This record gives sequence, C-alpha cells and structure tokens, in this order.
Amino acid sequence: MTDTVVTAQRPLLETSERRRPVGLLLVAIPVFLIAWLIIWPIINAIGRTLWRADANGDVGFTIASYVKFFSDQYSVDNLAVTLWTTGMCALFLLVICLPIALYLRFSAGRLPAYVQALAIFPMFVPSIILAYAFIRVLGPNGMADILLNSVGLPKIRTPYLTPWGPVIGLVWDNIPLTILILLSGLGGVSNQSIEAARDVGAKRYQVFWHIILPRITNSILVALSFSILGIFSSFTLPYLLGPASPEMMGPFMQRTFREVNDPIGAITQAVITFGFCIVFGLFYVRSVARNQGK
Amino acid sequence: MSVLKITDVSKVFAGNTVAVDKFSLDVADGELVCLLGPSGSGKSTLLRMVGGFERPSGGVITIDGEEITHLSPEKRPTGMVFQSHALWTHMNVFKNLAFGLKLRRLPADEIKRKVEAVLELVGLAGYGNRLTHQLSGGQQQRVALARSLVLEPKILLLDEPFASLDQHLRERLREEVRDIQQRLKITTLFVTHGQDEALSMADRIVVMRDGRTEQIDRPDVVYRDPKTPFVAGFIGTMNLIEGTVSNGVFIRDSLRVPLPIADGPAILAIRPESLDLVAAEPGMARVHRVTDYGTHGLVDLDLPDGERIKSMVSHPDLFKAGQGVDLNPTAIAAFRDKMQVYRSQT
Repeated sequence: MTDTVVTAQRPLLETSERRRPVGLLLVAIPVFLIAWLIIWPIINAIGRTLWRADANGDVGFTIASYVKFFSDQYSVDNLAVTLWTTGMCALFLLVICLPIALYLRFSAGRLPAYVQALAIFPMFVPSIILAYAFIRVLGPNGMADILLNSVGLPKIRTPYLTPWGPVIGLVWDNIPLTILILLSGLGGVSNQSIEAARDVGAKRYQVFWHIILPRITNSILVALSFSILGIFSSFTLPYLLGPASPEMMGPFMQRTFREVNDPIGAITQAVITFGFCIVFGLFYVRSVARNQGK
Repeated sequence: MSVLKITDVSKVFAGNTVAVDKFSLDVADGELVCLLGPSGSGKSTLLRMVGGFERPSGGVITIDGEEITHLSPEKRPTGMVFQSHALWTHMNVFKNLAFGLKLRRLPADEIKRKVEAVLELVGLAGYGNRLTHQLSGGQQQRVALARSLVLEPKILLLDEPFASLDQHLRERLREEVRDIQQRLKITTLFVTHGQDEALSMADRIVVMRDGRTEQIDRPDVVYRDPKTPFVAGFIGTMNLIEGTVSNGVFIRDSLRVPLPIADGPAILAIRPESLDLVAAEPGMARVHRVTDYGTHGLVDLDLPDGERIKSMVSHPDLFKAGQGVDLNPTAIAAFRDKMQVYRSQT
C-alpha cells in the first residue's frame, strides 16, 4: 500500500485510543473547577443543613432547619414573593421580548438595527446604575412625577419599594439575554418555510402559531430558564428596589447571614433556592439534549 | 383552464436596482414555461412576484383574467415549490401535506383521501408517518411538490427545485415532475439556471438577462436559432468569434467563412458540433487539447491570435495537441448590434 493510500484512509477526525487522553486532559481543568467551585459547595451546603450537631454535640441527620424555614411565615412569604417576582418577570420577558425578537428577525434595514442596539443596551449597564436610574425616573418625586406635575396631572403610585420595583428592574436587566436567545432560535426558522406556509394559505397569525412557535419552543424554554435562574437568586435590584418585607431570597439570605448571624439559616435558604433553580436548570439541560438528539 | 398573463411587470429594489424590467409573458393552459438565465437575471424575483412574495413596482399579473397583482400569497391560486424544499421539520409528511387542507377546513376524511392520493402520485405512498429528516433529498423534494399539488393550484411555481440534488437524482426527478405536470395538465412556471433542465422539460423557454427577455421560444428553437449573442452563448456551448465581414466573407485572422451580409463588424456563432476539422499544416487553427468523453471528443483549438474555440468530433483519436487543422463550419449564425443578422445551414 502506498503512502498516499495510507494517508487517504486516515479519518479526518482522529478517534484512536492514543488521542483519548489528550481530549480528557482538555476537559479536565473546567470539570475540576466546576467540581471545586460549584458541585462541592452544593454538596457541602446540603450536608451542613442535614447533618448537624445536637445539644450534646452528636452529629446526626436532621431536617430541623428546613422545618424551621417552612414553618416560619416570614420565610415562606419571602419564598412566595421570590416565586411571584420570577413568574411575573418570566411572563413580562416573554410578552416583551418575543415581539421584539420576531420584529428583528423578519425585518431589514436601519430601524431594526437601532431597535436591536437599544434592546441589547441594558446588557452594558451595571445593575446598580440601573437601580438608581429607576429611582430617579419612577421613584417618589422622580422625573415621571415632575413631568406629570408640570401638566397638572397627579403623581404616579411609584413602584419603588413595592414588589413591582424588582420586577421592572429585573425585566429590563434580562431583556438583552432573552432577546439574543430568542433571535438565535428564530434564526433556525428559514424564510422559505414561512413563505411555504403562506403559500398554502396560512395567515400571519397562523404562520406564527403553527410554524414559528413550535420551532422556537426550545429557545423560549432556554431563554426563560436562563432568565429565571438569574432572577431567582438575584440580589442587587431586589435589594435596592424591593420592599423590606417580604423580601426576595437574595437579600433575605444576605440579611440572615450578616444581620441575624444565622449561617445555617442562610445556607438552608440557599439550598431551597438551589432546589427551585435546579428545576429550571433541568428544563435547560433537557432542551439542549433534545436539540442535540435532533 | 388556467392561463397566466404577466404584462409589463417591473420590480425595482431599494437603491434603484432594477431586478425585472417591464416583463411580459403569457403562459397557456397546461403549458410548462422555463425561466432560464444566469444569477441576477431576475427570474426568481419574477416567480416570487407571481407567487405574491414580492410586490411588483409596476405591471399587472392575471390568472384566468382575474388580477392577482397585489394579492397576498395565501389568497392566490398558486402553489410554489422552493429550492430548499422548505418542509416543516416539526411535522411529519402527512401533516406537511395536510396543513394547507386543514386551513381550508376540509373534513378529516377528505384530507386523508387527498393526502394519500397525492403521496401515491409522487411515489411516496406509505410515507405519511415519516419525519421529514428521515427522508432523502429526492424524497423531500417530492414531498414539497406534493404539498403544493394537494391544494390543486391553478398555477404551479417551481423555484430551482432540483438545485440541491445530485446530477443523477436531478435527471430522474425532472422526468418525474414533467410526467406529473403533463398528467395533471397543470400550468407551470419553472425557474432554473440549468439549461439541461430547461431544454428537457419546457414547452417554451424564456431566456432572461438583467430583468429583461432575451428570447421566448421552444427549446429546440432557442438552441438552434438564438436571436441574440447572449442566448447563443448561454444555451449550450457556442463559439462566438468576433471579426469583420468584407465582400461577403467573415474574416478573423486566418479564419475565413462565407457570410452574405453587409460589410462591417460581426460576431460569428458556430456550435462545436457544427465545426468539422480537417488536418492541415499550418491550417487555420492549432489543436490545444483533445478530451475524449467516450461517446464523442472535444477539441480545443487556438486561432493564430490566441482566440480559443471548440469542436466536437466523433473520433478524437484522430487529433493530437499541436496539430494544425482547417475549420469547416456546417451551420453558422451571425450577430451584429446584438441581433441575429444571418443564420444558415452550409
């Protein structure tokens, strides 16, 4: 067999046993970092809340910290307001971002480019700046009030320090990521598949419902999973814009740890928060796996 | 009976780019007309205007006398098959075909009957439950065709439907599509840049260039009697030789061919199969390369001034590179001012 024939028979992608250690080495460092900085703290936190020393110093299995959390109305209210805020944000993100993403995907020209730039802009604004801008605009005696007052209208009922404050801030903060993920999903819907639907008689809303929506369901799930994961455990915006009571889990954890000086209580809250987040994380993993399966 | 009439249709895109320029065409009932032209000639834009996917800047489009120029695609009695198949991957074959029928609120049993009948027609009976990605490229294109046919459109629009298929499959499918089109007697407008497709399938060919019609004729006429140098050069292989006519003789370097037209510059057009070669030294031209295709040979020839022309020969083994030959055209055409001024069989 000539050298040329031997070279031609070698596959482009080397899959031999010799190359396997190199591949494993490449993924070893990120896997190690994930195990060290994420997996281990999770296991550690779960362990510290479930295996605790009793009054005699004997370490044993107990769910006392979780019983305490769920029997405390204030903690449950905080969890409820966190779930409510997350749900509201997810709803508003979908309602706001899907039309924008559809417009950006199916429009051409200068105006969509400006709209896209505006939609992505919040990504470059730090949360703390956003929070103070919100206060200056929608807070008591803010710009909105001044403008309303100048035309003789009554002041608005400010959402600042109400549960709606964090909702507005978090939605604004999460618009860029949501739009980018939805746009990526819409990129997979070809113009010709839409034209084919119109050609067989589908009106615009039927094209959206029967052709576009089923094709971007995974992207919607991924976008919402990402946003929800961030919102559920967010701290800055709920801390600066939200009410003192009930409060979202982020500020609640921080206060329990620092001000109440109850680390086990804070870790318990973190584990519970993680428990909810992992459900959305599984949605994301399932979506990715389903896409790769296709 | 479905007649498509396109009258003075134009399309000007932003930036004053004229894609289609006052194009007119009548397509008779049951006729298959091919729009043939190079990329950017406006053929796809024209088809998309008939389908309703582009709004004409001017002109009128009618089907059976009814104006459809500004109707949206869903309101037109047309069915379009796209180059990329454009199947809906989240639906199986049956649902792809049934979608348009469901929108028309037909009863379920009638939908089932129609879908099964059209699947039978395109040779995919029993494939209804398959997902589209489980089909080959040819099967996907058949599904795309079936999706249009199941709605019984008055006009079938085919936008380079075989472009993504390999040569063998393309040849088979174009025969099948032609058979189906003739069986259903459906009026069809077919866009392609493949002249083989156009020549083998069309009742008439419209050769387009820069949004305008160069020639509309039967395939054999377009091939044998091109009206412009562009058509002559675009359809098949053609030697287009620029030269001068003097006293009834076309002169280009050592090449001399009797040409009974007025004196002046002209373009002589000779098909390779109409150019016989006779071994001669030094001869009018010199053999550059001989390619043996088995059934015939193609001889590349250099005129003394470097112009390269081609001749088709039945015995390529008789010629070799460097050999001198005399040229003996058996059929010629001549063009002047972009128009045919002479055509003869010598």
